[in-house]
Amino acid sequence: MEPSTDQPGTSHSTTNPISDGSGENNGQFECNICLDTAKDAVISYCGHLFCWPCLHQWLETKPNRQECPVCKAGIGKDKVVPLYGRGSTNNQDPREKLPPRPQAQRPEAENRNPGFPGLNFGDGSFQMSFGIGAFPFGFFGTLFNINDGRPRPPPFGGAQYQDEQMLSRVFLWVAVILMFWLFFL
Amino acid sequence: MAGCFVQKRIQKEILTLKNSPPPGMKLCDDSLSSPGQFMVEVKGAEGTLFAGEEFKLLFKFGQSYPFDSPQVTFVGNQIPVHPHVYSNGHICLSILTEDWSPALSAESVCLSIISMLSSCSEKKRPPDNAFYIRTCSKNPKNTKWWFHDDKV
Ligand SMILES: [Zn+2]
Ligand SMILES: [Zn+2]
Repeated sequence: MEPSTDQPGTSHSTTNPISDGSGENNGQFECNICLDTAKDAVISYCGHLFCWPCLHQWLETKPNRQECPVCKAGIGKDKVVPLYGRGSTNNQDPREKLPPRPQAQRPEAENRNPGFPGLNFGDGSFQMSFGIGAFPFGFFGTLFNINDGRPRPPPFGGAQYQDEQMLSRVFLWVAVILMFWLFFL
Repeated sequence: MAGCFVQKRIQKEILTLKNSPPPGMKLCDDSLSSPGQFMVEVKGAEGTLFAGEEFKLLFKFGQSYPFDSPQVTFVGNQIPVHPHVYSNGHICLSILTEDWSPALSAESVCLSIISMLSSCSEKKRPPDNAFYIRTCSKNPKNTKWWFHDDKV
């Protein structure tokens, strides 16, 4: 019996905060994004270590704001240096073997609701009034979190229809006044 | 594969919070049963308006964590009365939305929230509290915050 050694699983097994077997380096060589030992490591000019796939995904997430996740210094594909450890079998630049680039996306803008009831003027001469007239509707839409389908236009001749006709005329006049203001200021 | 990456990182954060929690925060062990979320108990710092008070923060992690911020809210009966904390537990803090960085973690979010509480000079709700809690989405990440200035 050797009670002093070999007691796996007892409570005093380790004091290492990351005890998954690879944690003996105290986090010095861990990627700042996945918190794992950096693979295909690159280092930024500001000195912060990342896996290239991790950093690449972050740069893709924020294409307009290329900042180091740790210190917010400028960062980019041309502002990192690949690290090659001894005996690593492939010394290919990690930046060349990119993870498959996600396709560019063009998500729909929020609150893009086609057609506002009561704002169809019938002729094309008042294109501009749509943009202006639509503003208060869009505003109220976001204010009350109405993002789904808008109610159908009310039946012709009802009281609500009259109201909306009135509203649309008001917006039309607002648009006309705005146009005059724009042209003759 | 993406899911495994997320789980691995969350597990690492859980381990760190469990084994070496910074002062003033404690992982709630009973909150670990559901994957993708956990709760942390934070204490108001000594010498501040919230000294002696304890609050629970619920962290929910989505599939694109850590590239996307976690959803963080105060839960339970104790919601701190603070100009950036709504009475439904939603928190107006820029690192939880537009200033999020994947180098941040649950631990650093807790630290920011503790320091946000510490810098408070008057216990009051945000001015738009009543309106906000009536109209907001359940997920604070759906809110388009405009950030109050930093001096509380
Ligand atoms: Zn990584
Ligand atoms: Zn940096």
